[in-house]
Amino acid sequence: MRKTTALIFGHNKYAQEIVTNLQDSYTKIKVYTMDENDLGEGAYELESFDLSDEWQLIEKDVDINSSIAFCVLEDTSKNIFLTISLRAAFKELSIIAVSSNNESANKLKMAGANKVIPLVETTSDIIANMLEKPISNKVLHSILYEESALKIAQIRISNESKFKDEKLKSIDWTRYNGIIVLSVMHENMKSEFIYSSKAKRHIIKEGDVLVIVGYERDIQEFEKLIRSERYVNWSNWSW
Amino acid sequence: MLKAWILDFAYFLNTSKKYQTFKTFFYNILENEKYKYKKYLDLFMMALIFTSVAVLIREVKYPVNDYLRFFSNYVISIIFLIEYLLRLWVNSSVTKIIIARAEHDTFLFRDVNLQKAFRNVAKVKLSYILSPQAIIDLLAIMPFFHELRLLRIFIIFRVFKIFRYAKSFQILFSVLATKKFEFLTLGIFASIIIFISSVLIYVMEANRNDSPINTLFEAFYWSIVTISTVGYGDITPTSNEGRFVAIIVIGTGVAVLAFTTSLFVSAFTEKLDEIIEAKTIENISKLKKVYLICGYERVASEVAKKLFLKEYSIIVLDADIQKVNQAKQDGFTALNYDPGIVASYKKLDIDITKQVKAILCLNENDVENVYTTLTIRSLHKEVFILSLLMNDSNRKKLEFAGIDKLVYPQELIGLITKELVGKPVAFEVIHELRSEDSEVSIDELGITQRIVDNFPTIGSLVNKEYRVVLLGVYKTDKDRFYFNPLDSTLLEVGDYLLVIGYHVFIKEFEKYLYTKVKNA
Repeated sequence: MRKTTALIFGHNKYAQEIVTNLQDSYTKIKVYTMDENDLGEGAYELESFDLSDEWQLIEKDVDINSSIAFCVLEDTSKNIFLTISLRAAFKELSIIAVSSNNESANKLKMAGANKVIPLVETTSDIIANMLEKPISNKVLHSILYEESALKIAQIRISNESKFKDEKLKSIDWTRYNGIIVLSVMHENMKSEFIYSSKAKRHIIKEGDVLVIVGYERDIQEFEKLIRSERYVNWSNWSW
Repeated sequence: MLKAWILDFAYFLNTSKKYQTFKTFFYNILENEKYKYKKYLDLFMMALIFTSVAVLIREVKYPVNDYLRFFSNYVISIIFLIEYLLRLWVNSSVTKIIIARAEHDTFLFRDVNLQKAFRNVAKVKLSYILSPQAIIDLLAIMPFFHELRLLRIFIIFRVFKIFRYAKSFQILFSVLATKKFEFLTLGIFASIIIFISSVLIYVMEANRNDSPINTLFEAFYWSIVTISTVGYGDITPTSNEGRFVAIIVIGTGVAVLAFTTSLFVSAFTEKLDEIIEAKTIENISKLKKVYLICGYERVASEVAKKLFLKEYSIIVLDADIQKVNQAKQDGFTALNYDPGIVASYKKLDIDITKQVKAILCLNENDVENVYTTLTIRSLHKEVFILSLLMNDSNRKKLEFAGIDKLVYPQELIGLITKELVGKPVAFEVIHELRSEDSEVSIDELGITQRIVDNFPTIGSLVNKEYRVVLLGVYKTDKDRFYFNPLDSTLLEVGDYLLVIGYHVFIKEFEKYLYTKVKNA
């Protein structure tokens, strides 16, 4: 199901950045704060919550199935408690949590977060990449954050796709009509690099997802050609 | 006439590039600890010293081969003589002293007084000749006159020359020199005790028939042996008065010994940090491809670990000793220097242009990062500086301070979440490519003339055979990335290929590109 509502728990700089980046793609963004003094502040509507809450109020207010939650409390222990509370209350809710380091990232995953962003490790990875591989870092950054016309997309193989039931090996995916196919994700939800031994033996099935890089026009042509389209499968999204 | 000739010659030598290069070379090889070839000369000289000492020991009881004796007496002595003269030469500049005098006198409209200049030269050279190390050097040459049997003993002075070449001795002396006053006081105290006890024991014992102490020298010898707590027992007092003196001397000896030991220990304890720091700085001066990290906090620690794995040298500077200790525990070279002051970089004694790849201001505090950046920029305009930005309102200030690249973690979180919720699989793929732990990665392969000769176009690359995806080519001269270029695209020296694949296949592909024999 398409996600239309973003629930952000925590009123801080992370929340502000998330709101800035998501406001164009989400119809409803709700920011929750634990500090009642914050209410009425800022450029967006704030609501209060506390960790002992029963969550029914939130459930009444938004459709949980079409929502995605961001746990960005700065206090690690409270953030973990919030995540486990949300998971206990809503089994199907997609939860993304921010952690300060790998240790708390593991705890957040155990608490039920679908995806954890370890801030220190992510920042240090980016710094190391900037220093070590400045060109590739710049290119990947521009592809990922769409700072250039080059885009990365995920295409779901449909039932009518011309590649359905074909062997991956039999197609030269690397330079296909202006796009480059990087990897394929099949039913076990693990993405495989296009040249890996597993991927080569794989027979394309309906539901497989191809990760491709290319210009928008070429991606659209590719979608038409293989009779498949861009897709995000949220129901099975978990790492 | 002679004066003019001397002045001209002094100016000629002082401005002669050849002469100065020649002199600098000898200065470096003899005196400059940082000169990389100095250690080879030191080792050679130490080998000569041990050879001549070995010959001396052998000679005591056994005959020595004539050639070996000739080598020890003449060849080694001549080498030492040359070394002595070279040291005397490079120790100070005669021409500079003469020119300084000439310019001083000319400025004051006086006749150039060369006598004064030569007096200064003699003073400077004499002060070198009379320095302890130069005296040892001179004595070590003495065995050259081996016919004078007494002078053969001067070979032992060659052993003292080792002090010049072994740095640990120099450190030992420098440490002990810090307690000069205490050692002097102790020495005077011990000397007085020895003097008094020698006289007393002589007075008490010299006239007794059964006493072995008959001369003042024997009394002095007994005092030294007793106060040092060695107590051979070959000379012992026989009278009760003498034994009473012995009790006093033994008691004093124990106190002197304990005090001496404690002086050694405290001197080393006080200087230990300095010794370690000096050694660290010495090691730093030899490093290449250094990342200088200013401020050691969470991000800095992770960045340092990642760069260290890539075999880069990491130097951490932090004003907080606890953070420095943490960096040391993590295995990095760390110094308790404030990265925000110029003196820290001067003490560090590092050539930023040649040795440093980048300076990373990773304090999680914008004020400190601005301060550090301004300090570095005041010393060096070109070095690449990357900094963390903790508050977006400070972005302009950090840019204005001269930072080349800013990393704002909060912004990253916003961008990541946007991409993560829109294209989770694609995000993971890119994340995997960036991650150090992943088997598949993205790499940059630089194009050399050799590659251009063998693979003139993109189409001639056989990356598919190596299971490597060619994402595109980066043209350095145009500062532009060409995604998925056509087969006919020409490769040029300085371009970079961006390839994606398993590490092992990328390495194979890279090896193939760099080693393919022309026209093979």
